[in-house]
Amino acid sequence: MKMKLNLFSFLFTFTILSSHVLSISDLILTKVDRRIDLSTQIVRTTTTLKVENAGSDIVSEILLSFPENHAIHLAYLSATLNEGRGKAKPSSGVSLPYDEVVSPKDFPNSLKVYSVTLPKGLGKGDSLTLDVLAVFTHILQPFPEKITQADIQLLLFQESAHYLTPYPVKVQSLTVKLPDARIESYSKLENTKLQGSELKYGPYQNIPPFAYLPMVIHFENNQPFAVAKELVREIEISHWGNVQITEHYNLVHGGAESKGEFSRLDYQARPYVRGASAFRRLVAKLPPRAHSVYYRDEIGNISTSNLWGDSKKTQLEIEPRYPIFGGWKIAFTIGYGLPLQDFLFGIDGKRFLNISFGSPINELVIDTLIVKVVLPEGSKDISPSVPFPVKQRHETKFSHLDIAGRPVVVLEKNNAVPEHNEHFQVYYKFNRLSMLREPLMLIFGFFFLFVASIVYMHADLSISKTSASYLAKIQWEEVQATIHQVHTIISRCLTTHDKLEASLRDLSRTGDIQACKATRKSVDSSLKELTKELKSPVTFLQSSPQATQILPKVEEVIAKERDLQERLMAKHSTVVDCYEKKLGGREIENRVASHQQKITALRQEIDDLMDLIDEI
Amino acid sequence: MAPKAIASPIPDSLYPTLSVFTLAIGLILTASFFIYEATSSRKTRNLTQELATGAVASVFLGFGSLFLLLASGVYV
Repeated sequence: MKMKLNLFSFLFTFTILSSHVLSISDLILTKVDRRIDLSTQIVRTTTTLKVENAGSDIVSEILLSFPENHAIHLAYLSATLNEGRGKAKPSSGVSLPYDEVVSPKDFPNSLKVYSVTLPKGLGKGDSLTLDVLAVFTHILQPFPEKITQADIQLLLFQESAHYLTPYPVKVQSLTVKLPDARIESYSKLENTKLQGSELKYGPYQNIPPFAYLPMVIHFENNQPFAVAKELVREIEISHWGNVQITEHYNLVHGGAESKGEFSRLDYQARPYVRGASAFRRLVAKLPPRAHSVYYRDEIGNISTSNLWGDSKKTQLEIEPRYPIFGGWKIAFTIGYGLPLQDFLFGIDGKRFLNISFGSPINELVIDTLIVKVVLPEGSKDISPSVPFPVKQRHETKFSHLDIAGRPVVVLEKNNAVPEHNEHFQVYYKFNRLSMLREPLMLIFGFFFLFVASIVYMHADLSISKTSASYLAKIQWEEVQATIHQVHTIISRCLTTHDKLEASLRDLSRTGDIQACKATRKSVDSSLKELTKELKSPVTFLQSSPQATQILPKVEEVIAKERDLQERLMAKHSTVVDCYEKKLGGREIENRVASHQQKITALRQEIDDLMDLIDEI
Repeated sequence: MAPKAIASPIPDSLYPTLSVFTLAIGLILTASFFIYEATSSRKTRNLTQELATGAVASVFLGFGSLFLLLASGVYV
């Protein structure tokens, strides 16, 4: 009894938990047009479904099914509602949300089912058009698997000529676009037509649900099969104006493996005959205004690259060190900087980075794509928002001028194709003042050096403070200080002399005797003060034994200065007198001639002596 | 509210000019600091003046070295 109850409750919870109650609704696909593009290594299937609701319930979801061997290679799926008629509007609709569902009992095994949710339900008798784009990687099998340098690369593609769907199909057709090369063989079913490089299967009428008609195409494809085993894309933001992107590639040629020897001579001579499936160039489309682009690997810089840019994009064409044949690997790094204002925006107090997710290289299949967004130190509340599911984790990176490290958001995606190269956002909060932390660190570093030199100069490292040499050093420093003092006082005297001379020149210009007399009075008083100030340093120098050599020079300077002072005063009085008596210019010159000569001579001598004292 | 593009507080093109000028002023102040240290004796030294010159010199040197790093492409 208990066991039955347990089993019943288990089943009950299981049915409640399974999110979709799968019942195949009564939809009929009136017209299915499939277009498969096999021209590159990435297989793109575009299916246009015209769905009609033949039942009585409103249908809100449509099921898409893929065989298991295709579904494991499915990289990207998008379903859009086609509003226009015919081919007028190819992809005007917004992508509808879809979800993987557990296939119920009445579905055949080995099927993967996706359920597309319609924005508004499909009523009874209504019809709509749905565009489904499915992108597959690694689904083209090279056959033969190993080829020599001279062989062409042949690939095998298996698909069903009837569209595999849980609904009955009225009319359907299939067009396969093959590259402009040899078609080895293809399944010749009913209604098969080959026109140039397009293979048409259909139209087929009234096919029941879950119909599967296998068909195989064996064809030649020499497009570059560049597969990145791992791509690490690091996006580093600096608020000082730069977004630096560094991409580490680990590429391999995903087509038929190369066997036998590689002959460089044969390859150089006739590259399109011997080595048709190898690729030697890759083209990357970088955002506009990219700068400081570099291309290097473990050995060093690789110079075989070209870069040209316009206002819409910057195109980088890189040529690896050797041509890549089937199974060969190459690893390199591409880096470039972008201006900050193109990618960083602010809204509502938050900032967000809006940048592309995938690789800029055209037609590249990436097995593991790791995007690391490094935000500046001090960023908080980091939340990424990516339009498709990715694995997230956080790290810390230590870079220039960091204390605690920069927060890193790591987003990982498997099986990425160029359709995933959409823009994603990372939101975060950043305080503007945190930008000052970096210059403040540098300022404190330099200030520490200055403080260290101050401490060194102030520190007294002598061991014995009573030895003769230490005492002598102290006394000499005192003498030096006093001489410096004397020097400053005498310089001030000389400046007052200059003031006096200036007043005389003013007198000759304006004739204002009263102002001249006033200046004379102030100069007199300041000179008296300065003479008083000179007394104490001079007495100190006379008493100190260390200053015996310098003392005569100092006294000479003081004496000369006093002499100069007297003569200047005499000259000044004479000139003022002459002006009062209103004598002519020639007369004044004569009277002061002798004074003037001596004054200039004395001035020169004093200057020389001052220089000598200064050098001590 | 439309999102607004965020740029650096100082335009990029000014970094080299700013670095030259601030470093020049910083080095001049450093020179005056060391001249003062060399010509003054123990008695006449003034700690406040030393610290003040050192602080102002380190501010200019700090900003100058930051702009020098930015101008040479190391976006710290």
